[in-house]
Amino acid sequence: MTIPALAHARPHHLSDAALAGLGAGHPDAATIAELRRSQLSRHLLLLHEIAATLRQSPSKQTEHLPQPLADRTSAAPDEPIAALAAAEREAPARVRELLADPLFGVWAVSCLKALREGASPEQAGLTHLATLATAAHIPHQRNHDDRALTATHDGLTISVRLEDRDPLRAHLGLTPAPRLTNEQLRRWREKFTGAWRLLVTAVRPDAEVLAAVLTCIVPVEPDPAARGISATSADAFGAVAISEPADATALAVGLLHEAQHSILNAVQYLFGLLEAPGLTGYSPWRDDPRPASGILHGAYAYLTVTRFWRTQRRDRLAQFEFARWRAAVVAAGEGLRELTPAGARFVGALLDEVRPWLAEPVEPAVLRLAEGANRDHYLRWRLRNLRIEPDDVAALTQAWHAGQPPPQVTPRLQPMARRALEANARLDLTHRFLRGHSLEGLGTDPRPAEGNGAAPEQQRENRTAEHELRRQGRAPGQHTSRSGQAAKVGNGEADVAYVLGERERALRAYRKVGLVGVDWVGLIIAGGFDVAPEVASVLAGVGEPLEIVRWLS
Amino acid sequence: MSTTGATPEWRSAMIDVSELSLTDLTAATDPAGESVLAHCLRRLADDLAHPGEPIAGFNSAL
Repeated sequence: MTIPALAHARPHHLSDAALAGLGAGHPDAATIAELRRSQLSRHLLLLHEIAATLRQSPSKQTEHLPQPLADRTSAAPDEPIAALAAAEREAPARVRELLADPLFGVWAVSCLKALREGASPEQAGLTHLATLATAAHIPHQRNHDDRALTATHDGLTISVRLEDRDPLRAHLGLTPAPRLTNEQLRRWREKFTGAWRLLVTAVRPDAEVLAAVLTCIVPVEPDPAARGISATSADAFGAVAISEPADATALAVGLLHEAQHSILNAVQYLFGLLEAPGLTGYSPWRDDPRPASGILHGAYAYLTVTRFWRTQRRDRLAQFEFARWRAAVVAAGEGLRELTPAGARFVGALLDEVRPWLAEPVEPAVLRLAEGANRDHYLRWRLRNLRIEPDDVAALTQAWHAGQPPPQVTPRLQPMARRALEANARLDLTHRFLRGHSLEGLGTDPRPAEGNGAAPEQQRENRTAEHELRRQGRAPGQHTSRSGQAAKVGNGEADVAYVLGERERALRAYRKVGLVGVDWVGLIIAGGFDVAPEVASVLAGVGEPLEIVRWLS
Repeated sequence: MSTTGATPEWRSAMIDVSELSLTDLTAATDPAGESVLAHCLRRLADDLAHPGEPIAGFNSAL
């Protein structure tokens, strides 16, 4: 049956200015409304597919059930859909509201996948629709009042649902926290109010976008020692899973970041932005090679994070964040290849927004550390993920011994099999330094890369990484070691000297072979050399480290 | 992208069904699979088949 209204349905569309506004991170209210409408369309299309799947193979849905139950189920497998349709005739606005909820999106995807894999309607969770049909008769406010987070500052209000009950909240990618206690609820409200005040004061247009996008916050289990973890699902526009934040600033930045993921997911539902979204490369935000789609997500999320830090520059650590991420966003955006026409417009607008920030003044000592942090991450990524072929190792070694110039070699991408996050003692020291804490006593003994000797903040990062790995069902460990080419972290004296800007002292310390080998990356960034660390590292032991780096540069 | 109007416009392959009733939407079929709806559904199916990994793990640097 073809439905006339469907035959005449218009495509979702955006004006060119709206798409550019989205790319720049400045969508207007009408654009957000169109994205929201498109997500409702997505939910309805999923429901259409659920109904179609039930119609197509009722026998498959019930063949595994005992006969009486199978008979009952197959008699009206789509009865819950009919019930919801009936509820819509009585309370259309309320049903639309329920269907637009982000958790309806994760339910619909989960249900459809289960049905297609042969689950029965009951197993696939179809009864959820009957629950919604009942909920359609309960006004919205009565349903959620006790878990609303509402804040107003300078005439701007945000109101979201703090979701700590619905089992569907487990589908957002992180382990949900159990129902909040009154004390936890009080803390959430306090930090949310503080975050909102901060956002409205610092980045009011971004706060307006956040208020229009964010509808649901799902508290998740904290990592015992991490400052915070959060996640966004492509199936749940406007929902953020986030652990209880350390403070209002962390919540403000976390919400800005996650809302960007939601917006980009909605844009990509409408328009493909990348011709080859799976093409892997370097991301400034991860230690493993990332697909282009992930790199775009990182750049887009950090667009608003950077804009926030841009407003906080009386603080040296905020200056560092601003200087670091403005460069990372531009580099990531410029590195994206094979963009579709819509992608070129979107990424072009993103770059037009951020590039002018590169010329804004930052205290020179802070800028040195920010640029060093980015280079440090990139070189460590190379050391972790690029390999030199044995023939090239032999050619390099032979040339070294013969006193000849180094031959040209081509590193090969060979990423580790699993995701890993790597602690970085230099970054830890940089944060301490910029917070105004003393580095005295931290530069005496070389510290091992991992384990009990690691600085507390380094240990926290390691545990966060393990938490993330376990969440993905993968075994933690092997953060750094493979084939003797791991990035070595934690050369106390050298790192302190580097952070303090004492170049010669840093070089003297980095050229020593420590307990964990040569810190090639430290040596390269401290000396300002243009050398690939994965190449230098294969020459470990054939000569003095600083001489090797100079020979290669 | 359409440039035939007064201002350039980006038209999605995904149609706006947000105003359709559930009754109409869930009853609609297209056995031939040639309609705009069918095209949308194929793209949706492709999205579901390639969901990518969750975007997770952000830690505030401060």
